[in-house]
Amino acid sequence: MNTRLPHFSRREVIRSLVGSSLLLPGLVSNLLAEDVAPDPLSPKQPHFPAKAKRVIFIFSNGGVSHMDTFDHKPKLFAADGKTMGIGGGLSNQQRRLLKPGWEFKPGGKCGTMVSDLFPHLRDCMDDVCLIKSMKSDDNEHYQATLGIHTGSFFFSRPSIGSWISYGLGTVNQNLPSFVAISAGSPYAGTQIFNNDFLPAYHQGVRVVPGKEPIANLDRRTKQSSVQELELGLAGALNQRHLQARGQDSELAARIRTFETAFYMQTEAREVFDLGKESDDTLALYGMKRGQTEGFGWPCLVARRLVERGVRFVELVDGSSSHNWDQHGDMAEHAKHAKNLDQPVAGLLKDLKKRGMLEDTLVVWTTEFGRTPGVDGDKGRGHHSACYSSWLAGAGVKAGTSYGSTDDIGAAVAENRVHVHDFHATILHLLGMDHEKLTFRHGGRDYRLTDVHGNVVQALLA
Amino acid sequence: MNRSRLALLGLSACLLAPGFSSRVLAADAVFLRALNLNGPALEIDGRKWEGSNAAKLVVSGKVFENQAVALKPTTDPARARMIRSSVWGSKVDVSVGGLPSAECQIVVYVWEDNHTEQFDLLVNDKPVVEKLHSGAGGSWKRLGPWRATPVDGTVKVSARTPSHGAVNLSGIEIWTGEGTIPGVTSAAFVTELTADHAAFFESKVRPVLVEHCYECHSSTAKKLKGGLMLDSRAGIIKGGDNGQVILPGQPESSMLIQSVRHADPDLAMPPKKKIPDLAIADLEAWVRMGAPDPRTENTVAAAASKSAIDWNKGRQWWSFRSLAKPSSPVVKQTRWPVSDLDRFVLARLEKEGLKPAADAEKRVLIRRATFDLTGLPPTPAEIDAFLADKSSKAFTKVVDRLLASPHYGERWGRHWLDVVRYADTAGDNSDFPIPQMRRYRDWVIHAFNRDLPYDQFIREQLAGDLLPSDNADDAKERLVATGYIANARRFGSRVDDYPQHLTIEDTIDNLGRAFLGLTVSCARCHDHKFDPIPTADYYALYGFFQSTRYPWPGIELEQKQRDLVPLVEPARRTEANSAIKAHDTEKRRLEKETQKLKDSLKDKTGDEKKSVEAKIADAEKAVKEFTAKPLPFELAYAVAEAGKAVNAAIQIKGDPAKPGDVVGRRFLTILGGQELAPDDQTSGRLHLANRLSDPANPLTARVMANRIWLHHFGKGLVPTPNDFGKQGKTPTHPELLDWLANRFIESGWSIKDLHRTIMLSRTYQLAGVRSEEATTRDPNNELLSSFPRRRLDAESLRDAMLVLGGNMDTTPAGAHPFPPQSEWKFTQHNPFKAVYDSKRRSVYLMTQRIQRHPYLAIFDGADPSASTPVRTTSTTPLQALFLLNDPFVHGQSREFANRIVASAKDEPGRIQFAYRSALGRAAERTEIEQCRSFLRNARVQLAESRTALDQLEAEAWQSMVRALLRLNEFVYVD
Repeated sequence: MNTRLPHFSRREVIRSLVGSSLLLPGLVSNLLAEDVAPDPLSPKQPHFPAKAKRVIFIFSNGGVSHMDTFDHKPKLFAADGKTMGIGGGLSNQQRRLLKPGWEFKPGGKCGTMVSDLFPHLRDCMDDVCLIKSMKSDDNEHYQATLGIHTGSFFFSRPSIGSWISYGLGTVNQNLPSFVAISAGSPYAGTQIFNNDFLPAYHQGVRVVPGKEPIANLDRRTKQSSVQELELGLAGALNQRHLQARGQDSELAARIRTFETAFYMQTEAREVFDLGKESDDTLALYGMKRGQTEGFGWPCLVARRLVERGVRFVELVDGSSSHNWDQHGDMAEHAKHAKNLDQPVAGLLKDLKKRGMLEDTLVVWTTEFGRTPGVDGDKGRGHHSACYSSWLAGAGVKAGTSYGSTDDIGAAVAENRVHVHDFHATILHLLGMDHEKLTFRHGGRDYRLTDVHGNVVQALLA
Repeated sequence: MNRSRLALLGLSACLLAPGFSSRVLAADAVFLRALNLNGPALEIDGRKWEGSNAAKLVVSGKVFENQAVALKPTTDPARARMIRSSVWGSKVDVSVGGLPSAECQIVVYVWEDNHTEQFDLLVNDKPVVEKLHSGAGGSWKRLGPWRATPVDGTVKVSARTPSHGAVNLSGIEIWTGEGTIPGVTSAAFVTELTADHAAFFESKVRPVLVEHCYECHSSTAKKLKGGLMLDSRAGIIKGGDNGQVILPGQPESSMLIQSVRHADPDLAMPPKKKIPDLAIADLEAWVRMGAPDPRTENTVAAAASKSAIDWNKGRQWWSFRSLAKPSSPVVKQTRWPVSDLDRFVLARLEKEGLKPAADAEKRVLIRRATFDLTGLPPTPAEIDAFLADKSSKAFTKVVDRLLASPHYGERWGRHWLDVVRYADTAGDNSDFPIPQMRRYRDWVIHAFNRDLPYDQFIREQLAGDLLPSDNADDAKERLVATGYIANARRFGSRVDDYPQHLTIEDTIDNLGRAFLGLTVSCARCHDHKFDPIPTADYYALYGFFQSTRYPWPGIELEQKQRDLVPLVEPARRTEANSAIKAHDTEKRRLEKETQKLKDSLKDKTGDEKKSVEAKIADAEKAVKEFTAKPLPFELAYAVAEAGKAVNAAIQIKGDPAKPGDVVGRRFLTILGGQELAPDDQTSGRLHLANRLSDPANPLTARVMANRIWLHHFGKGLVPTPNDFGKQGKTPTHPELLDWLANRFIESGWSIKDLHRTIMLSRTYQLAGVRSEEATTRDPNNELLSSFPRRRLDAESLRDAMLVLGGNMDTTPAGAHPFPPQSEWKFTQHNPFKAVYDSKRRSVYLMTQRIQRHPYLAIFDGADPSASTPVRTTSTTPLQALFLLNDPFVHGQSREFANRIVASAKDEPGRIQFAYRSALGRAAERTEIEQCRSFLRNARVQLAESRTALDQLEAEAWQSMVRALLRLNEFVYVD
């Protein structure tokens, strides 16, 4: 863990309670005794050594147009207004081609082309491995969103964050292993950060920017001392109960969760308190002090969470009702890009500055791209045949781009990266073999990648 | 180059440009008509083609044109124009009328504009081409000729794709006479081989197939790919999973040729290295000849008869064997057992040298039994009565009382709802609510309460609508029971190409797990990898549900419910259905009228405009009033018979776009394979239900007896209750399981009887404390030397807090407060999402598929999308946070504290009441002291933080209650 803030261990917290002499005598020694139950979230060794230790997974809802952002299509500019039948799953549709709405310029030393929608991210291209040949299986938001999160397009399955929590555990037992910061409700609802059949320890704990970011995180008793008294009484009675039952590890584990929860009320609170962040840092994310709206807050909190050892942080950009789904007017992409651009670039820069980009994997993706042909008057339709995503940080081949689409961005031309390949590669970057990370459920060994997926070696440093 | 080769090449020059020659030979057929199905009249090969406006031409299909696509092979401009404008759809029908009555010959042009599709062609409803591939973008084919006799002067040409495909039909030629049509060869495999044919095959074809194809496409292949066998004539003719590979005489239309040419990257064969051009030319020539093939061995039939499933071995698996009638085992401690059940348990313990634990204390036993049967804690009065009852039948009386409680069905009904993945929403992309679903939930609860025999319980859920009933109420109940099938999950947002195969998969998946403990749906794409369930069995079951009409819950692109069933007795169903139809018609009429008025408003001004506007307002009001008027009967979210009962086609690799052989409806082969009677005109669900509930079926009773056992002991005798197959675990006590299953059947499938059998055993009444020896030698307590301690599940925990608060709402659960259907505008962008607050028991909480109920998600509630046979028991800080800070916990603590304070005047008395209510026992002296010391400290702390004096006492007690609700002793049952 790469941390700069002072940390208290569980023991220290318990001792601090002793200091306030609110815990009943006799309890402390029991609480300090070595834990009996093996912790299901204790850190696990990956299948093979790997650089990436944790993931920040940024998901843009609604379908970000590839040809307007990261997939430069000069010939589409030229073909503006031409009508043609377009492949890529849009069988038998005649569309008038719509040129990209923004100019492209090279970014960084590597010169990866990025449109004017993302001027800040363009500066970060030397740290980014761009994939221009992503492919999904469904043109519906719901199915494609479920697919990019779970590898399954129709049936609910564990989310990628849950799989990674299951595979690697976590290093800070006082925080969840998987946190999903989502202001609104995404397509397919909470299924996308659900543990499904994996044990509930691995569910994504939803954080909603605002007053109480995690449900029931705020102490409801007016006085901390009263809550401590309650925990003291329960602790003492629980110990009696435990002793009479021969040190049952399950009972002991449950006793411990109250201590963790007690600590979370302050530790987790502290994560969401940006008061100690410098003005420079806030500026990097494009934030004003005290601001919780916009994408800066999730990005900065994500850094603070991974800093404290959270294994997987998902940031959901937009919701099912307010997002990148511009059927009517592509110009609205500008509004969503502005919300995303500086905070995400700030996150990359901040992580790099702190040396954390070396062992943190940052992923940006969306559920599908958009059609080269016009939809409505000035919009674009859903397009799962190809789209763009990127990886940055630990273990990825930075400053490169991979794969390509045809002249107008209608279909993958070379080096297709299917959603399953994308998942296999992310697991590989974390030191896990996607074919070996399995869970027996209902008579079958399940995988994130189902029966598919190949690690894309070209994306690895 | 031999002679035959030369001759073939000569012919090919003509074939590569179809219709190249306009020369009419004496034997040639006579051109009658040709029709450009989408476009103008034109001239091709010097013949006049009529346009799509031709007389007596009726075309159903959507029109499409894309002249930008490059055709492969290229052809003359007129033909190209005709080809590239077409009609398309998954069902295209063309009828050409005004023809002479004599037999004629039909030629059809098809083409592909983008991605290959698979289709069948029919002439006069008779299939002439099956499962043909349209090829890569730009491919076109001139298919036929097929002979057809006009019916009333009309010939019909139809194209079909398997569900949501798109085949493009461009043109039709009609010829008369017996002779050949220029440019078209007869589309048949050569049957009478000449010596030249045989020689050509042996020298040019067989070596190529052996060298380049057999590795993956023969009976000797290590792993047969694509279901294609090229090592026999039968295999060549049959083709593979992707359809026919050779269209005799037409290399351009033959997938085999397209594949070896590497024309389409997805079909390129052999995939790694293209075979030499000369070899390709040989194969083309061979196809052109009509693929003469001298091989006589039928490798396809041989492979089919040598099925991959070893049935004899399959039948040997423990769960497929008939129920054994185990004799009562001999035990040493003859005085310990009270029943055979105990003897089976004791025999195992004695064999392992372990002793059963002591009997549980009475107070422990009543708490255990009450939570077990009702999911609620015993009241202090119930505890006192039991403790005071010194008769030998005291516990029997408790069990009988609990089984008679209406709360019993709420508890055990919930166990069944877990298994059938019950939800109040559909699970489609917008998660539409199903207000009527709760009727099924209530039916389940009621079924448990009245101890509906389990075989009947099965029959009603699968075929309640097909069962005879003595009275109207029974008939209605049975209709509601089929909500079991109706509750299958819905998918997506689309209507036209709704993925019904997934809903049926969800049905079969659940049916297999719930009733048989088998993962039948694993056989959807391939034969089951571990259990003797071939893919054909999956589709044999599929037919029952393909012949069933599921209700439509509404999804994004059609947001209204339809196909629900009137909840009336069978005799009135037709009448009620007509009433629904009439209601819809009237509504549409009113809406149309309103629209008409609105349309007329455009060119109105002044007073006239005002008058129309007033009329519009009236009309809109009329629509609203009419819509608000309820039907004179309720609708059930239940299934009905589909319009037509059908057998299902196997879907190759689970892809509905790739139909294979049709399979007759029947039960699973390994369980008897009983076929639906040939004269049965129904969907056959009753047949299926009767097979599932047949006492001779070895799985049904075992699976249910195991579930009942599981919910008493926390773990099944088979630890994988939904999987009795090879991937599941074998029973820890196989003889006991069979003994229970036999008793279950003999009791007339009485679940309550099974509860009594289990609970009145000595094994159930053991203490929970384990000896050190037992802990070491049997760490998972598989041998049941003591009673396993269990955590309260989500529902019991919440319900217990409601009971303690004294504010549980026990009035009958009505409808959920869903928004009215007239306001349903749910989409995947704004899906239905709600959490309805309630003080009712948790089984009545509205449960959504896409959005987990926040409380149930934290406490390991059932998965509303997939069968949950056993709840997991996780231990997370989020659960602790809930108990620390959730408003529900604080609210219930307040209510409970009020009851405590009212229960006695003195502090010790109040503490005793709290203990007896929450923990089911009296507080010990030290505990009373601890609590009193806590209360003193709490008062001090509360006073310091300026809590108002009149609040202080209440708050101190609430604080104590919160501590009690967090105790392991409260959430665990010994």
